[in-house]
Amino acid sequence: MTARIHPVLGILTGIVFLFLLAPLVIIVGAAFSDTSYLTFPPRGLTFHWFANIFAIEAFRTTAVTSLEVAFLGTGLSLLIGVPAAYALNRYRVELPKWLATLFVLPILVPEIVFGFSLLKSITIGLGLPVLPSLILGHALLVLPYSVRVVGASLAAFDFSVEEAAISLGCPPVKTFLTVVLPNIRAGVIAAFILAFITSINDVSVSVFLTGPGISTLPIQILAHMEQFFDPTIASVSVLLMLVTVGVMAIVEATLGLTFLTK
Amino acid sequence: MTVSLTIENLSAHYGSTQVLKDLSLSVAAGELVSLLGSSGCGKTTTLRIVAGFLQPTSGHVRLGDRDLTTLAAHARDIGLVFQNYALFPHLTVMDNVSFGLKQRGVAKADRLVRAGAMLERVGLSALADRLPSALSGGQKQRVALARALVIEPPLLMFDEPLSNLDAKLRVDMRVEIRQLQKANGTTSLYVTHDQEEAFSISDRVAIMNAGRIMQLDTPEVLYQKPANAFVARFVGFENLIPLTVKARDGANVTAEAAGGASLNLSQDIFGAIPDRFMLAARADGLAVKAVAGKGIAATLGTRTYLGRAYQYQCSTAVGDLVANGTLSEPLEPGTAAVLEPVAEQCCILAPEA
Amino acid sequence: MNKFAKWGLTLPATIAVIVLLLVPVILTIATTFDEPKGPFSTYAAFFNSGFRVNILTRTLRIALITTSISLVVGFLAAYVIAQMPGRLKSLAIIAAVFPLLTGVVVRSFAWLIILGKNGIVNDALTGLGIIAEPLSMLYTEGSVIVAMVYLFVPLMILTLTGVLEGIPRDVIEASSSLGAKPVATFLQVILPLAVPGLIVGAVLVFTGSFTSYATPQLLGGERQMMMGTLLYQRAMVTFDWVGASTVAAIMVVITIAIVAIMSRMARRLNPMAV
Repeated sequence: MTARIHPVLGILTGIVFLFLLAPLVIIVGAAFSDTSYLTFPPRGLTFHWFANIFAIEAFRTTAVTSLEVAFLGTGLSLLIGVPAAYALNRYRVELPKWLATLFVLPILVPEIVFGFSLLKSITIGLGLPVLPSLILGHALLVLPYSVRVVGASLAAFDFSVEEAAISLGCPPVKTFLTVVLPNIRAGVIAAFILAFITSINDVSVSVFLTGPGISTLPIQILAHMEQFFDPTIASVSVLLMLVTVGVMAIVEATLGLTFLTK
Repeated sequence: MTVSLTIENLSAHYGSTQVLKDLSLSVAAGELVSLLGSSGCGKTTTLRIVAGFLQPTSGHVRLGDRDLTTLAAHARDIGLVFQNYALFPHLTVMDNVSFGLKQRGVAKADRLVRAGAMLERVGLSALADRLPSALSGGQKQRVALARALVIEPPLLMFDEPLSNLDAKLRVDMRVEIRQLQKANGTTSLYVTHDQEEAFSISDRVAIMNAGRIMQLDTPEVLYQKPANAFVARFVGFENLIPLTVKARDGANVTAEAAGGASLNLSQDIFGAIPDRFMLAARADGLAVKAVAGKGIAATLGTRTYLGRAYQYQCSTAVGDLVANGTLSEPLEPGTAAVLEPVAEQCCILAPEA
Repeated sequence: MNKFAKWGLTLPATIAVIVLLLVPVILTIATTFDEPKGPFSTYAAFFNSGFRVNILTRTLRIALITTSISLVVGFLAAYVIAQMPGRLKSLAIIAAVFPLLTGVVVRSFAWLIILGKNGIVNDALTGLGIIAEPLSMLYTEGSVIVAMVYLFVPLMILTLTGVLEGIPRDVIEASSSLGAKPVATFLQVILPLAVPGLIVGAVLVFTGSFTSYATPQLLGGERQMMMGTLLYQRAMVTFDWVGASTVAAIMVVITIAIVAIMSRMARRLNPMAV
C-alpha cells in the first residue's frame, strides 16, 4: 500500500519511536553514572559498574549458565523441530491437522504455567537436576520457532527438487542434507536466532527451574535488583543490548531485517 | 458527455532515470487509443500519471477543458480497470460495483438500481452477493469493468486488463470491452504489450519505446506502412535490408545491397525512394526462387513447414534473412537460391542512424 | 519407508511436547480437582477471596487497557511505516525490532529508572518546580500499564506492518480512482482489510500481558499483584501448590478461551475467506 502521510501522523509516529528508544538510551546513560544509585542523565562518567559485573561472581556464573542453556536448548529444539517441520510439509496431506497444533502449544500455554508445571513434574516429580531441567524447559519453550519458522521456509520449498535428487540416485538422508537443508538455510538461521534470544531473555520458565547455586542471568538480575538498586544492573543491561545488536547485525547480514515482518 | 484527452509534453523520472520524454498524445472524444510496447517503455507510467498516481516532472494532462495535472487522484473522475482487477476483497460484487457511486453520495436505493443494471449488462447479476474470492478470473474482470463503468466516467483507462486471463477468454473479453466502450462512447486509453490485442480493440495505437511514441496511427497503417525501423520490427518485418540507389530510370530504381546484389524497385509502388534506404520485408515479402534471377543470392538453411508455405533461414551477403518458398518445390538445406522481394508486401524506410 | 518417515520424523517432537508440556500442565490442573473438600473447593476458595478476585480483575483490566493502547499506537506507527520509502522503512523496522529483542527484564528495568523516586520524571517535575515532593509512580497500576505497553507495542508494530504491507497498492488506487477521499479509503478499504491482523495482534498482546510475570513483579510489586506474580508467590513463597495450581488452571482456561473466541472472530471477519 502507498498513500501520502499526513504530517500529524508523521509526528505522532516520531513520538512512538521516541517512546520505544528513549528508555534504552536512558539505561545506557545510567550505566556510566558515577553515583551509587541509578540516575539519568548520568552524573560523572565511570566504567566502575561494568567492572563490577565481572567482580560479582554470580553474574559470571549465571551468564555462563544462560549461554549453555540457550545453546543446548535451542540446539535440542532444532534437532527435534526441523525433522517435524519437514514431515509436516512433506506429508502435509497425510498427517493429521492436530499434529501442527501440538507443536505450537508451548505458545498457547502461559509460560509461567508451563514453568510451574515443569517444576512440579520434572524437577520435583522425577528428580531431574536443575541444569537438564532448564535445558529441556527452554527447548520446549522455543520449539514453536523451530517448527514454524523452518516450516515457513519448507512451505516455499519445491519438493520436486528433492524428488529429482533422489531420482538421480542420491539417498534420502544425503538428499536432505545436500539439497533440502541448503535451501531452507535462512529459515533455520532465523529460527535459531529467535529461539536463542527468547531463551536467553526468558524469565517466566526459568524462575521456577533455577535452584540454589544454578541460575540464569535474567533471574540473577532480578535477584540483584531486590537487594541493590545501583548502576550495575544498567551495565548488565547494556552488555545484553550489545549482544542483541550483534545478533541483529548477523540477521541483517544473512537475511535482511524485513523478514521479521513476514 | 464525451470529451477528449490531451497529454502535452509529458516528462517523468524515476530517480535520475527519465522514463517519459516529452510525450504528447491526444485521444478524441469517444475514441479508444492503445499504448503498445514492451515493459519499461513508459506506457504504464503514462497511464498512472493520467490517473493521478504519479506526478510528471513536466507537462500537462487535460480532459476536455479541465486541467488534471495537479488534481488529486480521487477527484479526477476516471474509470480505471487494473491488471490484477484490484477488487475490494472484503466487499461483495454488488458493493464493489456501487463503491464509486457511494463516494459520489448517490443514495443507497439508487446505487442498488444502477449497480444492478450494470451487473446485468456484464452478465453477473446472479453473483451480486459473492465475495471476489469466489469468482473466476473472467468474472473478476467483468466486475472490475462494471465497477469502472458504473460511475459513467468521461475517461476509461485499462492497464493490461486481460493479461491474467487464458487465451480464449482474452479474445471474448476484448470483444466485450470494445462493445461496451463503443455503446457508451467513452473516451478510452488502453495499455497493453500484446500487439494482437491492441490492434483488434483500438481505433488508433501508439507504439512506444524508451519513453517516446514511435508511431501513432490506425492498426492498418501501422501494420502495412511502419514509419521507422523500430515500428517495422515491432510489427513483424523480420528483414531490414540496407540499400543504395545506383540508377534511376523514370519511376524505376535500381538499388544495390552489400555484397553486390541488385534490386529493381518501382516508385509507383513504394512512393519516392531516397538514395539511401532500407527495404523492410516479412518472410512473406521475400520469395525463395531456386532458379537464377534478379535478387539476393542466398544459401538456404533450416526449413520449417508453416502450412501455407515453407520458411527458410537464409545466409546472404547482407546477413541472415528469413524468406518463404512455395509448397510445390521444397528445397534442401545448402541449396543456392535467390530471394526476390514481393513489392506489394514490402515497404521503404529511412536508413537507421 | 514413507510411513516410517512421516511418523518417525515427528515422533521426537511429539513425545517432547506430550511428556514435557501436555502431561505436566494437565497434571497441574488435575491436582486442583483432587481435594479433600470437594473437586471445586479450591476454585470456590479462589473466587470467595476478595483479594484474589481483585487480582484476577486487575489482571484482566491491565491486559485489556494494554491491548487497547498497543492497538492504537501500533496501528498508527505501522500505518506510517508501511508507506515509508525503502531505506527509512528498514530503519523504522530496526528501531521496532531492537526493543523486541531486548529482554523483558531490561525493558521493564528502564521504567524503574524513569518512574522511580529519583527517576527522570520526578527529577524533571521537581526541577521545574511543578511539584515539591517526588511522586510515587512505581508500584501503581499506571506504571505496570506503561511498561506493558512499552513491552508489546513493538510486537504490534511488526505484526501490523506486515498486514498493511500485504494490502495491494492496486486496491487502494482503485478506491481513489473511484472517487474515495483519503479518509474514505482508510475507513472503507484499509481498515476493514487490516481487521484480521488487528485481531492477531490483539490476541498476542492480550495473552502476553495477561500471563506476564517479570513486568508486574518489577513495576507492580506486592501492591499491584497480577495473576503471574500471584502464581509465583503461591508456589515459591508460601508453598501453597494447590493454590498456585488453581491460579494456573484459571490462567490456562482464560487464555484458551480468549484465543478461541478471537480466532473464531478473525475467521468470520476475514474478508479473504470464501
